Amino acid sequence: MMSDWHADEALLARYAADELDDARAYSVEAHLMACPTCRNVLAPMADTSRIDAMWAEVADRVDAPSVGVVERGLLRLGVKGYAARLLAATPSLRLSWLAAEALVLGFAVLAANSASGRPEADAVTLIFLMTAAFLPVVGIAVAFGPGVDPVYEIGVSAPMRSYRLLLLRATAVLATSLCFTFVASLALPRLDWTAAAWLLPSLGLSLGTMALATYVRPLHAAIAVGFAWILITVAAAFAPSDPLAVFRVGGQVASLLIVTVSTWVLAHRRGTFEEEIFV
Amino acid sequence: MSTPQNRREDPSLLASVADGDRGALRTLYERHAPWLTLRLKRRCADPGIVEEVVQDTFVAVWKGARRYRGQGEVAAWIWGIGIRRLIDRLRARPLPIPSALDRGGIVISAEEEVLLSVEHGDLGMALDRLSPELRAVMQATALDGLTTREAAKLLGIPQGTVKTRLMRARHELREALA
Repeated sequence: MMSDWHADEALLARYAADELDDARAYSVEAHLMACPTCRNVLAPMADTSRIDAMWAEVADRVDAPSVGVVERGLLRLGVKGYAARLLAATPSLRLSWLAAEALVLGFAVLAANSASGRPEADAVTLIFLMTAAFLPVVGIAVAFGPGVDPVYEIGVSAPMRSYRLLLLRATAVLATSLCFTFVASLALPRLDWTAAAWLLPSLGLSLGTMALATYVRPLHAAIAVGFAWILITVAAAFAPSDPLAVFRVGGQVASLLIVTVSTWVLAHRRGTFEEEIFV
Repeated sequence: MSTPQNRREDPSLLASVADGDRGALRTLYERHAPWLTLRLKRRCADPGIVEEVVQDTFVAVWKGARRYRGQGEVAAWIWGIGIRRLIDRLRARPLPIPSALDRGGIVISAEEEVLLSVEHGDLGMALDRLSPELRAVMQATALDGLTTREAAKLLGIPQGTVKTRLMRARHELREALA
């Protein structure tokens, strides 16, 4: 609702200086809401230098990168701001990565289900277990290190130990992978011991990779561990008696041993890791 | 004021802001930050809080420009955001009424003719005779467009008290103007 009437400049000046009595001040305020002309006349009467300075702050906040879904979730869980940002920047915690992981597991489960009851069932189960155990290793490989981590250089120069960042990210990747695989194994045709047989080997491979990653780049560590793992399982698969031998008692005990040794190495290497940071 | 941006209407600027145009936000800020700052200063004695609220408001405009439905004055929409941000900021420590809101008052009609008659008329005097508490409540509800619940938060008093004070203020004004 516009009218031809406008507040005179003196009245607006007194309003800006906070010199008006209530009734007049409210007349002015009600009029201002409807009158762009009077708002324009009033504008230079405010503290313009402060208004300009405040814009800088507004611009800063407008330009600030928006916080992603993962980071917001972590913050809500009580994770500290810097840790949440560093975790959310993990390549292998991105949505695309998680989707890929789900897809791989989905295909493995699908294959296991379609082969159920046929002679090749054991071989397909082996492929599922092999994949399930190895998935977190791939995640850890690209979770930290030059070339794969877009914020690697920033992370190295951040006032946070790279060792801690490696552990933080690797643990997060391992945890999400284990959750995915757990859900996938519930969809297996037989819910017997094979549905859980991947757990210890998976932990062994992951911790082994992390321990090795304190010596070489995580990517190289993962490639070495991966080759060894595929070699062992494939060799075992061609053993005439039992293709799943790797996942039976002997394999589980060996996995436990690797978990123990790797944990010891990780704890022991804590101090020396920082100096050998790879650039 | 030479660029065409400065001559565009508020709703069209707001539409550009919704599409991520920072220049449009800047123009809206230049137009609306001054009066918003002045008006908020009359409701909050702490200039630091006022500045934060103005900044919050324009960040909210940036993020929520889509929520403007194209009805009514953009200024009134911005005021609605600003005064609610102020309430949010004050929630932790409401201001005592006499220090910040002793200039509270009333507008009983949006008609500008009526408002103009306020200056030397009966309404002005009637307003002056209201106690500061009653004026603060009238201001928050009638002029600032707050609900009784929001007014209660702003003034730091229970919602029931806002309602009874509002009734008493209306009654007193009616008596005075009769």
